Amino acid sequence: MKAKKRLFGLAAVLVLSTALAACGGKNNEPAASPTGNAEPAQEAVTLDFWAALDPSTDEGKTIQAKVKEFDDSHAEINVNLQVITYDVMHDKLVAAINAGDAPDLSWGLSEWFGEFNKMDALQDLTPYLDKWADKSNIYPNVLEALTVEGKTKALPNYLGIRALLYHEDILKAAGITAPPKTWDELLAMAPVIKEKTGKEAFGIAGAGVRSPQELIMYLAQNDVTLADKQADGKYKNTWQDNPDQLAKAAEVFKFYQDLLAAKAIQADAKTWGWEEEDQNFVLAQYAMVVNGPWIEGRSSENPDGMKDVKVAAPVYKNKPATFMEIAPLYVYKSENPDQAWEFASYLLGAEYQKAVNPGKNPRSDLVNDSGWGKDFMALASQGVVFPAVSLGGITKAMEDSLARAMLKNDKPEDVAKWLSQAINDSLSKTGELSGS
Amino acid sequence: MKPIELERPAKRAGKWRAVAMTLREKRTKRLAYLFVLPALLFFVLLNAYPLVTVLLDSFQFKNLMNKALSGFAGLTNYKEVVQNEYFRTALKNTAVWTILSVAGEYALGLLSALALNQQIKGRTLFRAIIIIPWVVPIVIAGMTWTWMLTPDYGIINLWLVKLGLLKEPYYWLGELNTALLTVVFVNVWRSFPFYTISLLAGLQSVSRDIVEAAAIDGAGVRRRFWYIVLPQLKTVSLTIVFIHIIWTAINFDFIWVMTEGGPLYSSETLPIMIYRYAMQDYNFGNASALASMMLGFMISGFILYYFFSVRKNRR
Repeated sequence: MKAKKRLFGLAAVLVLSTALAACGGKNNEPAASPTGNAEPAQEAVTLDFWAALDPSTDEGKTIQAKVKEFDDSHAEINVNLQVITYDVMHDKLVAAINAGDAPDLSWGLSEWFGEFNKMDALQDLTPYLDKWADKSNIYPNVLEALTVEGKTKALPNYLGIRALLYHEDILKAAGITAPPKTWDELLAMAPVIKEKTGKEAFGIAGAGVRSPQELIMYLAQNDVTLADKQADGKYKNTWQDNPDQLAKAAEVFKFYQDLLAAKAIQADAKTWGWEEEDQNFVLAQYAMVVNGPWIEGRSSENPDGMKDVKVAAPVYKNKPATFMEIAPLYVYKSENPDQAWEFASYLLGAEYQKAVNPGKNPRSDLVNDSGWGKDFMALASQGVVFPAVSLGGITKAMEDSLARAMLKNDKPEDVAKWLSQAINDSLSKTGELSGS
Repeated sequence: MKPIELERPAKRAGKWRAVAMTLREKRTKRLAYLFVLPALLFFVLLNAYPLVTVLLDSFQFKNLMNKALSGFAGLTNYKEVVQNEYFRTALKNTAVWTILSVAGEYALGLLSALALNQQIKGRTLFRAIIIIPWVVPIVIAGMTWTWMLTPDYGIINLWLVKLGLLKEPYYWLGELNTALLTVVFVNVWRSFPFYTISLLAGLQSVSRDIVEAAAIDGAGVRRRFWYIVLPQLKTVSLTIVFIHIIWTAINFDFIWVMTEGGPLYSSETLPIMIYRYAMQDYNFGNASALASMMLGFMISGFILYYFFSVRKNRR
């Protein structure tokens, strides 16, 4: 009888402990060695590395091969490479950071930098960088953009400077010899291109992660900033305090509406994400787009559609400007900062960058002589970046503002006022609004 | 003949009853508790604990992006949710999405069940085919329909333009006035087979004798349907309709796969809004408040229905 009771008791404890164990996450203690030996310094360390590479492309295959090369050549470091697309990467990172289960390194977007820094998730890389022999080969303005209060909190994985890409054959078929330089020139060319070729002149991303990147560029081209740092060290959107800024911001939304009205863009481009924008350009469905150097990688898949693509400076209104996407390599706080740095410095090294990012790397000693690399890097001086604040709510509001302008057809002034308020509301929610 | 009366244990005080239990009964009872224990644990861990946590969190400041703001929030989260610019839109969309989906599914399910209840050639094959939309995973169905509805290369736009019904391709999922209705249409397509099967089972239990007797008495097809067939489907109809009201109102995946609640929140329902609060804004306080409110709406709806049906039955 007693034995039975004990058996039932044991079963109950087992069920309870199994259920509770399932609720646990990765703890912050050093990983136990396979032998149970508590000497982590002697053991191989496994680094979790999340990358948004596309394994089906040449670039993706090269990255995987290079990571394996590093893994094979470092007996004390194992790299656990996980492919996670950008669409879900952010959500997963935020959840992982809050659960104390962040990877050691990950790819990421520059829009997340302020957020992760505020969450105190990023490793201070300044001491490592200061000792690194290659530091002087990284563009100083790029490193500066990843530095907060004197501490470098991320590394540049690759640069996505945006340029105007155009299909020369489509422009020639329309009798146009040179790409447009300004918004007005673009709007004037649009009906001609449509009439002569049956194709639209331009492509935009009206939704998704790329739409705020394009919007911030057009705002900068009209001399408008999203949020400025104030005396108290916090940020504020000042359009509603400054009628000139508000009018200029409204002109940007008017430009979007004009593109639609002049049929310079396809009717459904107002809800295109980056996939549709890229794919339709690669297939030469429209003539021009402001896009990044990664498009060059699509040449092997679509040689016919890409053979006539040329690079120029983006069209502008008042001031030449482009979006400079510094895609960061995030190194998170962990028990293995030395090994994480070892791997990070390899990813930033000349050999890896030359193989993986020939035309978009952040190293000044590796400028590609081909048209793509040179032309894109020539635009680096006019590049704008997002302010270093939590951008989740702000980029969503920017996306919504485009929908208000193009889907709801709201007045551009109303859209500008709405976005201004939405940006400040978002800053307020994250405790980054000046005066709050 | 006097019916046999089974011996029933007299009602006794709990204490006396416990004393009266045999050792065997006690052992059986303990064993029963042990068998229930795993289920109880799972219920507590996977249902009760999260539910209580959500209710408690709805009164707390919980924003992963602003950890400096924490502690008791009172009704602030509820206030913020109700004052959200898109709350009313999401509430209205949830009602439209639920009512149109369930009504469309029921109508189509009933029609197809009536058709498949007839003695037609190939009936078994049709009964097998009709289940296909129901067994296709939602994500695959959603993505396939999204492709078919695309203006650039979607087959539906191609057909509509070729048939002369449209001048040019239309972006069904990308326009404010058609996005929600298009997802409703796809949801009806996907879910009606469940109604078909359930109602077909109900139809097969309708007595042929009564239907034939009514026909002999001069009742036409419509009269037989409204006064004989439909009343006998009442129980199964109410069951599947109420199950589907719950399933549809809390549905997340179909809308998320096809429109993510867009464009500009035109197809956003309350579950999508909860997800956006939690997984995009990382504001778990607001997400919990909205989830609690939604729970409240559903419970209120069913309490009202319960009282309504009890009163009706009393009459």
